[in-house]
Amino acid sequence: MSLLSVKNLRVTFDTEAGRVEAVRGVSFTLGRERLGIVGESGSGKTMTGRSMLRLIRPPGRIEADEMRFDGIDLLRASEREMRALRGPRMAMVMQDPKYSLNPVMKVGRQLTEGLRLRDRLGAGDARKKAIEALQAVQIRDPERVMEAWPHELSGGMGQRVMIAMMLIPNPDLLIADEPTSALDVTVQAEVLKILDDLVKTRGMGLIFISHDLRLVARFCDRVLVMYKGRVVEEVQAGNLMAARHPYTRGLLNCLPRIGGPREPLPSLDRSGTWAEA
Amino acid sequence: MALIEIDNLSVHFDAGDRIVKAVQDVSLQVAARESYGLVGESGSGKSTILRAICGLAPISGGTVRIGGEPLKTPRGKGFSARVQMVFQDPYSSLHPRHTIDRTLSEPLAIHGVGNTDARVVQALRDVALDPTFRFRFPHQLSGGQRQRVAIARALMLQPEILLLDEPTSALDASVQAETLNLLNRLRAERGLTFLMVSHDLAVIDHMCDRVLVMQHGRAVEELARDDLAAARMTTSYARTLFDASADRMLDGA
Repeated sequence: MSLLSVKNLRVTFDTEAGRVEAVRGVSFTLGRERLGIVGESGSGKTMTGRSMLRLIRPPGRIEADEMRFDGIDLLRASEREMRALRGPRMAMVMQDPKYSLNPVMKVGRQLTEGLRLRDRLGAGDARKKAIEALQAVQIRDPERVMEAWPHELSGGMGQRVMIAMMLIPNPDLLIADEPTSALDVTVQAEVLKILDDLVKTRGMGLIFISHDLRLVARFCDRVLVMYKGRVVEEVQAGNLMAARHPYTRGLLNCLPRIGGPREPLPSLDRSGTWAEA
Repeated sequence: MALIEIDNLSVHFDAGDRIVKAVQDVSLQVAARESYGLVGESGSGKSTILRAICGLAPISGGTVRIGGEPLKTPRGKGFSARVQMVFQDPYSSLHPRHTIDRTLSEPLAIHGVGNTDARVVQALRDVALDPTFRFRFPHQLSGGQRQRVAIARALMLQPEILLLDEPTSALDASVQAETLNLLNRLRAERGLTFLMVSHDLAVIDHMCDRVLVMQHGRAVEELARDDLAAARMTTSYARTLFDASADRMLDGA
């Protein structure tokens, strides 16, 4: 049985200017594998990720024909049941460590908060577990990082702290929203390797949200390409170069390549019928 | 003679109990109409070099000359008429409470350039923005449109040199392509000289004739474009950066 199945997911916002549909009929299933969701800003990829955890606030509404996680109906689960799922069963790494870590709480306290409140561990045990988690994401001096404030960490460090925090309860599903876009290429490669090892060793399911098509193709098993709230194409990552949809091809072609021709980069042609509402 | 000459530039910051050496003994020369790239990971000092040229970071050692003249402190009007900078984040580099019109006409007012109205409209046209954007505020624009405004602002005084600090790293892939094309077109039309910073080797390769790889505040290796494309780098760090580059990943897959 698949870990997560979503049928006809729609996310709508009722605003003063009328109804805005951020996600319009997205369906997919996920096993214990790496699924990539790619698209430009505003394509609905982050909203799709947040919907899985029901983390969309009013006026936003989530509707779907089906949204099941490991046999649990996410549409009918109570808030209390959702709280029990978020963290231990499914977790999300947010985009920007600058805005997603609590700026007035030391890293150590943020990491141990869940352990102490949820798992009722003592201070010493919680600290030990938190340090192990930091080591698991290749932080070399975890003792110092535990005592640091979020603003004292670099982007790469902050991102790793967030990944460590999400992995402490050992979730079955990790949703990573642009986990590496704030990072340098060399650090990016390290973080991806960490995520990859975790999928392999813990048998975790991973949804990897990014705007970088090439990165996703390299890293994931399957890729959903989103445009204006819809999935326009689903491809096996290995066959990405053979993708047929003009939007996917456009996204691939508009990136510069080392040693590529010096002529203007092809811009995305949105004149096709696929680009219309 | 090179247009930008940097000799043994050092930038040190006093951080209370210790001194942070952000840039150490970096030398480079950029010829007129050349496009020169600085690449490296964050903290390698590449942006600090641009900021030191503009006077936003202190020059602790070495010299910077523009067109053979050493820089003055403060930089003065003559400098800003020749050298302008485009910043990384179009969300924070435009004044949130100034209209586009005010942002674009301010440099003209400071330098006493007349004919403001026509120049602002022309500047918007040059960066392929509709003149109706003129009376909007930055929050009413998308990221790509804002970066176009930032480029238009930098070009208001018709400088020779543009210092580009990660001009597309906050943008989507498709918008990045449009912005890079715009920069290349403007450089060809106006004979501009670029000194551009990026952490993306593919972007630097697309835009620049030569590139300097930096690490921990020091210059590691200078590469011509052909050498980069053919992977003829001699230092291991430059090779690491090359191998980790996103577009290499796809080839390796």
